[in-house]
Amino acid sequence: MTTPLSGRQPKAVRSALAVLEEVVAAGPGVTAKEISAALRLPSATTYRLLNLLVADEYLVRLPDLKGFALGRRAARLALPATSTVPTAARAVVEHLRTQVRWGVHLASFATGQVVVVDGDPDHPPSAAAVLARFPQASALGRLLLAEQPDWRALVRELRPLTPHTVDSADDLEKLLAGVAADGWARQLGELHAERGCLAVPIRAPGDGRLVAGLALAGPVARVAEPNDALLDRLRQHAERLAPLLA
Amino acid sequence: MAGDVPLRLRDRSPVDGLRRRRLGPVEVFAQSVSGAAPSAAMAATPVIVAASAGSATVVSFLVATVLMLLVAACIGQFTRRMAAPGGLYSLTAKGLPPGAAFACAIGLIVGYGLLAAAALAGAGAYLEALLATAGVRAGPLPTAAGIVVVGGLVALLALRGVRLSARVVLLVESVAITLMVGVFTVLLVTGPAAGPAADLPAPGLGGIAAGVVPAIAAFIGFEVATVLGAEARKPFRSVPRAVGATAAVAGVLYLFAAHTQVVGFSTTPGGLAAQLEPVNALVTAGGWAWLPVVLDSALVMSFAACALATVTALVRVLFSLSRDGLAPAAWGRTHRRYRTPHVALAVAVPAAVGALAVPVAVGVPIGPVLVVLLTMATCGFLVAYLLVCAAAPVFLHRIDELTRIAVVAAAVIVPVLLFVLVAFVVVTPLPSVLLGGLTVLGLAWYAWLRYARPSELAGIGVYDETLTTDVLGVRTGP
Repeated sequence: MTTPLSGRQPKAVRSALAVLEEVVAAGPGVTAKEISAALRLPSATTYRLLNLLVADEYLVRLPDLKGFALGRRAARLALPATSTVPTAARAVVEHLRTQVRWGVHLASFATGQVVVVDGDPDHPPSAAAVLARFPQASALGRLLLAEQPDWRALVRELRPLTPHTVDSADDLEKLLAGVAADGWARQLGELHAERGCLAVPIRAPGDGRLVAGLALAGPVARVAEPNDALLDRLRQHAERLAPLLA
Repeated sequence: MAGDVPLRLRDRSPVDGLRRRRLGPVEVFAQSVSGAAPSAAMAATPVIVAASAGSATVVSFLVATVLMLLVAACIGQFTRRMAAPGGLYSLTAKGLPPGAAFACAIGLIVGYGLLAAAALAGAGAYLEALLATAGVRAGPLPTAAGIVVVGGLVALLALRGVRLSARVVLLVESVAITLMVGVFTVLLVTGPAAGPAADLPAPGLGGIAAGVVPAIAAFIGFEVATVLGAEARKPFRSVPRAVGATAAVAGVLYLFAAHTQVVGFSTTPGGLAAQLEPVNALVTAGGWAWLPVVLDSALVMSFAACALATVTALVRVLFSLSRDGLAPAAWGRTHRRYRTPHVALAVAVPAAVGALAVPVAVGVPIGPVLVVLLTMATCGFLVAYLLVCAAAPVFLHRIDELTRIAVVAAAVIVPVLLFVLVAFVVVTPLPSVLLGGLTVLGLAWYAWLRYARPSELAGIGVYDETLTTDVLGVRTGP
């Protein structure tokens, strides 16, 4: 059995980081032998480090089993880049704000996290760190989770933030299946006891991948009502945003 | 670099339909241990080994453990790099030509299928023994009916999904092992009957080597976790660990059991080798009336867990063959809710149960049926182990990650496995004939595939590939 790297092995840690860097530098498809040669690392060490990094999903093996590429988890190593929202997109969001008396937030999923890129100045969204850390408790986060092959990859802990927060894996599983089926998400008092949220996905027009989410925030009682007309309006704006953000 | 390497990534896994990336490490390990069913082998195998190895029985087990750890290491070369529900045959396909991979698949089908039947036979036999202690004597038909019921139960659990079945086998197998270790500790503490040490002839090297053959048979099934690759949460870590740890744990348990039994009979003329039912004899000599009941219950549970684990593996091999295009397409379907290969299950379980229930119903005693099934299953596994170990260095060479240790491991283990396989086939007339029949069937299947599905055969070895969604920052065209 391989023992996990301990803090007492600075060389191994350094080598592992060098391997990661080399994969980024060389681009997807680089082989173990090439990495070993480029870093002048002993080949057996390189193979072991690569297998460790693959087991932890920082790297993946490409289908030829020979080449390596960065895995999704590597995205967590970088700070979410502050993406600038095009003025045309801001205008669409602003238009929605004039039409409803709710808080309107636009969030980007480009980094694999919920990053609010245009929060409502009159109804500020929850703290960025909370949204990023507990995606399961926000409507926007649920859009992101429902898109994952396995939501566990992005959920750190199922901690109850309010008495209403979903805190069991089975319940969350059902919730996310519902989100995937309905095409929109909702949370009722799960981040703050009095406030709820509705969110719809914004998908790239070409390949349909999830790029962002548009959310309406309001009092729990109002959010809990069937809001079909409101959802329609939200979807219309999401559609107009799609070509501007993808 | 990125420009000249085409990234052909799929959006959906070729083994889509199974519940991807869900099983935790403990569940994977539990399946693996149950496949090897160490508690059953602890009771049954030492006496068989002692027939050739005598007082050196423990040495034979030690050698077998080292060899199986080597097999686990060879399998680990693959499972640290890929995850395949087809288990060893998909792995073999990455190193050896399609014919060898197909032979490995046949070996696995024979191995898992007959091991499942043998495990049901074992459960039936010890259930009979339990009933006999209660004064009930079951005839052949009720016994066969009992086997069918247990088989149905196993099928139901296997259908409900690997998570539930993993939890069931974890519970059952840990209770069984604890009971067995408890019983053996009691026996070891009591020590042998008073008297001078029996004069046993020292077994030569040949005796020890001959003892290794049945000792290896005690390990079969320890690689069951390989079929859970696609379903394990961190397959590249949990699967190789489960396989390696199972070989190690089973090895330690066998050494303990062998030592206990050798010591227990050290004052009896003829020693352990002269016994028919050594554990029962030791227990009776100790004068505990309740121990046989505990022992038999533990064995029934262990065998049932083994049947569940091997059926789980068998249906995934069939599922994978179907996804390869080498078996009926229906076998590749999965249950909409439980995400298990339910059609393959409906085919495999009746076949495995039938292989056992029919001879039992017509009056063949369970004991000999169990021995024949186990022997045949062992041969199937040996073929699969042999091929996967031979494939390991070739695979590593192909992906440019060959190390000297990998070559040495394969160079040691492959000739040994070949020798063990030959030894197994040569000494057992009836199973050999039946195996010959199965080989002919396998060859016929292969010939048909060569004729009707040559391109599918060439592409054998489907596995859970990296998908577009798994890779960061790579966008393939729509």
